Amino acid sequence: MSDNSTATAAPRIAVPRDRNILRLSIFLAAVFLLMTALRPSIFLMPSNFNSMMRQFPEYGIMAIGISLTMITGGMDLAVVGTANLSAIIAAKFLLAEVPRGAPPEQALPMIIVAVLLALICGLACGAFSGFLIARMRIPAILATLGTQQLFTGIAIVITNGRPQSRLPLLYSQIGNTELWDFIPLPFVIFCAVAIIIGLALSKTRFGPKLYMLGTNAKAARFAGLNNEGILVRTYMISGFLSSIAGLIMMARANSAKADYGASYTMQCILIAVLGGVDPNGGFGKIGGVTIAILILQVLSSGLNMFENVSNFYRDVIWGGVLIIVLVINLVVDGKARRNGARA
Amino acid sequence: MKKGLVKLLALLLVLAVATPLVAQVGKSSKPSKDWKIALVPKDSTNAWFVRMEVGVKQYAKDTGLNAFQKGPAKTDAAMQAQVIQDLIAQGVDAICVVPVDPAALEPVLGEALKKGIVVVTHEASFQENTMYDIEAFNNADYGAFIMDNLAKAMGQKGLYTTMVGHVTNASHNEWADGGVAHQKATYPGMTLLAAEPRVESEDNLEKAYERAKELFKKYPNLKGIMGTSSKDAPGVARAIEEMGLKGKVFVSGTGLPNENKTFLKDGTLAAATLWDPKDAGYALCSLATKILKGEPIADGLNLKLKGYESMHFAPGSKKVLLGSGWIVIDKKNVDSFGF
Repeated sequence: MSDNSTATAAPRIAVPRDRNILRLSIFLAAVFLLMTALRPSIFLMPSNFNSMMRQFPEYGIMAIGISLTMITGGMDLAVVGTANLSAIIAAKFLLAEVPRGAPPEQALPMIIVAVLLALICGLACGAFSGFLIARMRIPAILATLGTQQLFTGIAIVITNGRPQSRLPLLYSQIGNTELWDFIPLPFVIFCAVAIIIGLALSKTRFGPKLYMLGTNAKAARFAGLNNEGILVRTYMISGFLSSIAGLIMMARANSAKADYGASYTMQCILIAVLGGVDPNGGFGKIGGVTIAILILQVLSSGLNMFENVSNFYRDVIWGGVLIIVLVINLVVDGKARRNGARA
Repeated sequence: MKKGLVKLLALLLVLAVATPLVAQVGKSSKPSKDWKIALVPKDSTNAWFVRMEVGVKQYAKDTGLNAFQKGPAKTDAAMQAQVIQDLIAQGVDAICVVPVDPAALEPVLGEALKKGIVVVTHEASFQENTMYDIEAFNNADYGAFIMDNLAKAMGQKGLYTTMVGHVTNASHNEWADGGVAHQKATYPGMTLLAAEPRVESEDNLEKAYERAKELFKKYPNLKGIMGTSSKDAPGVARAIEEMGLKGKVFVSGTGLPNENKTFLKDGTLAAATLWDPKDAGYALCSLATKILKGEPIADGLNLKLKGYESMHFAPGSKKVLLGSGWIVIDKKNVDSFGF
């Protein structure tokens, strides 16, 4: 995109892309109906929805983090590394400070400190990635490839690659709390994250700055934006969200390990792109990302209902869905643009 | 007063969670044709677990029961937990698991047990939330057996090290420990590489190959590697062949016949050891069925399968059942397995 087209670029892209959320919703409904039609007795069971609500928050929150960095035209490949390092630091602290079988009133303050430590670790990891990208001007994809290796490496060194298990029971009890015996706490956290980040993008001054920076960094700087500050803050948010995801994974596994969720990175990028985040920056909505997360979870849990379909096919199906959505976007938006359809 | 009450409640809470959950689960009240028995492998695409699925399908065919295999697309503890979560939600009656990382599965398997689902594991002798864990053999004995093979190839002398899939994998480490203990007792001419006594191959052929190349370059005196994961021996054998070290350094370990055929035939690998994942898959389903039927599980358990006809509890354990299902694969019999 050339610099002088920027002024008109934002509205031209924004109008057709908004339909992306509608299309994604239709796609989600279609997948949902398909699964219901194929296995009504299993898919519609409340326990199945409970199971799904417990699975997607951990990678969903990381996907939102990645999406933010992609809106700036960047990428955060370090989300999983950050999540695991944060969880390991919390786990190490808990193992050192809470004796086995300690009463809850003794464990609880330590758990709060451990959670804070993990969140600080996430912020620090994000700040470091952001520093490399904004100040050292290393391309985001390379910088975070490096920090991902670095964070995972540190996690392996401090744990010798072993899982940090036998954490205080209270921690996983809190982490696996279910409101009304049905709504898992991680799901509530996910909703809070999605709403807060969604509002931050649409209602605060941070949002337009992010989109502007992602659409054209040079123009944003000339418009008086502090690009470096915005970038560092974005990666810090991504790191912070990753550490929340790490804490959720730690509660679910009742342990922390350097390589948990290693396959989540690609999955999160896939979600972001599926959700309509422009990999070149400048566009993306949390609503779209959230629907994309739901589509993938319904597909994944749906696939687990079929005894004879190997999970071998999961990647094929996900890849297929992604390409279908991208092609539909291209065809529909292309036609709209040719017809001069502008609001 | 109030504080005492809190303490009491806390104690009760801890007790409630710490109490083994195995007491009442087991016998199913449903007719056997409605049973769903799911086997969750570490990953669906690995040849080892593809072979295991053959056993599961065989079992389903032999008994007419609904037994199937359902695993994550990649070897990732978080993904494996998700598959199990979904299976619980879908109301399966029995879950047989080969855990990627036993610690990470404790909560989700605990939940399955709480819901009355039969849980049996394989290659996870320290798993807490399982009713029974099947091991094809006594791990220390199998390790000693791999060591015998390595010692034979090395002429009972020289420097060696051990390779495991992950340092967190319980079985691999028990085999390696058993092998090392056996070497210390039986082969005084051999020494364990003190600087790196245990290396990781990440259950990955490529990584095993890379690690072996590194080791042979770094330690020119290294004469042997005792492999444990099924990817170790073929990976190391490839390194030996490429570096022209055939006949100078040796490897032994678990291996699938087809993956090792060329190395066994050209002598890079003297013998691979194995238990048949097909039999393990079959045995897991068979054990789960016995529990669902409410049959007693006692020492001398017969799962009606070669190597699993008379299973014994590991010393001091009421959960870990040991068979005698190991086999040796060498250049003479490598073609006879069909996998």
